[in-house]
Amino acid sequence: MGTIELLMQGFVVALSPESLMFALIGAILGTLIGALPGLGPANGVAILIPLAFSLGLSPTSSLILLTSVYAGAMYGGRISSILLNIPGDEPAMMTCLDGYPMALKGKAAEALATSAIASFIGSFIATIGLVILAPILAKFALKFGPSEYFALFALAFATLGGITGKNQFKTLIAAALGLMIATVGIDISSGVQRFTYNNLHLFEGVDFLIAIVGLFAISELFFFLEQHAGDGLKQVALNKLKLTAKDILYIMPASIRGALLGFVSGVLPGAGASLGSFVSYTLEKKYSDKGEFGKGDPRGVAAPEAGNNGAASGALVPMLTLGVPGSGTTAVLLAMLISLNVNPGPMLFEQSPDLVWGVIAALFVGNLVLLLLNIPMVGIFVKLLSIPPKYLMPIVTLVASVGIFSITGSAMDLYFMVGFGVLGYVLRKIEIPLVPVILGMLLGPEMEKNLRHALVLSDGDWSVLLNSGLSIGLWVVAAAGLILPIIVGPILRAKMKRPKDGLPD
Amino acid sequence: MRINDRVFGVLLLILAVTYGYEATKFPVPFGGQEAVGPETFPILLSILLGIGAIYMVIKPDEDTKWPAVSMLLELGVVCLVLVLFAFGLEYIGFVLSATPAVAFLCWRMGATPAKSLLTGVITSVVIYVLFTRVLELALPSGILGL
Repeated sequence: MGTIELLMQGFVVALSPESLMFALIGAILGTLIGALPGLGPANGVAILIPLAFSLGLSPTSSLILLTSVYAGAMYGGRISSILLNIPGDEPAMMTCLDGYPMALKGKAAEALATSAIASFIGSFIATIGLVILAPILAKFALKFGPSEYFALFALAFATLGGITGKNQFKTLIAAALGLMIATVGIDISSGVQRFTYNNLHLFEGVDFLIAIVGLFAISELFFFLEQHAGDGLKQVALNKLKLTAKDILYIMPASIRGALLGFVSGVLPGAGASLGSFVSYTLEKKYSDKGEFGKGDPRGVAAPEAGNNGAASGALVPMLTLGVPGSGTTAVLLAMLISLNVNPGPMLFEQSPDLVWGVIAALFVGNLVLLLLNIPMVGIFVKLLSIPPKYLMPIVTLVASVGIFSITGSAMDLYFMVGFGVLGYVLRKIEIPLVPVILGMLLGPEMEKNLRHALVLSDGDWSVLLNSGLSIGLWVVAAAGLILPIIVGPILRAKMKRPKDGLPD
Repeated sequence: MRINDRVFGVLLLILAVTYGYEATKFPVPFGGQEAVGPETFPILLSILLGIGAIYMVIKPDEDTKWPAVSMLLELGVVCLVLVLFAFGLEYIGFVLSATPAVAFLCWRMGATPAKSLLTGVITSVVIYVLFTRVLELALPSGILGL
């Protein structure tokens, strides 16, 4: 069968010594990034893109490097959940519930190992799902015309706030802001200058890498400064690992269930990894709790971790096949693809199968590397975690600046980065989400292009946007994505709130 | 208090209107007017932002706390330091501009002055050597001329 053959070719790419090296580097960097508080996966990948870019790596190598970082960051997030009771990113929140109590009982090493194994199972199963589902979806997406794509982009924005989103209108504002930034520069189809004010630096538009690093990394620095969080937190000490085959078998069913649930919520628009780990944990608790959950049950660690990693790989399905990311980190991965001149979407599978399948194979390899790396080396990562942010954040800021500077070698880009940092800080203060801003900047040009194509074909008749059953269906889902959270959101949030109490968001 | 969202809602509304107005002023593209011009999409966006902004004014969320004025000033100084770092990069070189910037940030985050300076020097030199020698990315050496 075609898929298997292509996947095998992918493994040939992924198992070359060069790719293995990049996978290893990516896995280590990713785990570190995920583990360090205040440096989520989106942030980490964002800082590394300009570096991968200016080092002149080939698209395949950069992709392998950065997908390993992505996978690694998901692994790393659990270290601070378990040892500090602070999730490295939102999806890792559920891991705190049983991971931290386990660590308090003197089983920190077991909790970390359990979560590493569950993470591996989660990613492994979800990557198999990706292999099966992605080509089917890509074939289906070939049927999409400009009006369907326009509807699809609208759907991506409408569902980005997620089912747990707080204020849909703020998501809308954020998306509009991002799309507006994307219109700055010379219009590609007419050559008209838009919002450039004759500033030469704006002619080519605003580079989204600068925006990403500014909005995420620099605003994070401001928040650390404001909260005087420079000293870091006390962590639970690590014990010696005692894990038997019986322990692994014990968590196996929970992991597999978590992986499947996670994958599904990763693929679905608007659900994402947070919901993946939440659903996995709650269902596992319903299914097998005998009063142990919340007090350090290893299955309570395994289920959300598998769910979280399953969702992370699942989110790659819409990203690779449709060019529509489902989460912040996949949005950043999309940024990387675009800056490498790779256009995700159904054609990617036709035009550069070696790249796609190489990356998918790299996910398998990367996960195995991560598992092997994580169990013996967890002590080293834990040591690095104890570097207080007061030294770490300035260093991260410097590395991020170097990355931005190396794109064009102009200080102007750094001024823009600081400007976006301030913007990010203000937006976070008024609780406008940042991910739709980024997504708007990324998808803006494509969205406008598709709107134009559709309208030119119909001679300016706007009803063309609803000309097929498919596009009507997409609009309906988009509308549901906007309206449902207003109804269901408060209920779900109340349920998620209890575990969240006492944690920073 | 629900003043934050009201104020920013008004500001965003002003942005939406200005942006939309500017879009209508675009010159007619070479080759004549078409059904969809460079202004169509921006006008759509300004309407979208306008709706969101009006909602923010009408139904504002609970405020998050802003830091005290002294902290805002401090954050302003941090921005200035970052800008100065960027400015200095081209004139006095990477190491000389990065060292004080990193040291200042460490100090403001609570490290002792001596340790901050040490972190600044070590980080700048290590990153400079790593990037220019190992990764072969050009960073300005500036007046040190290494």
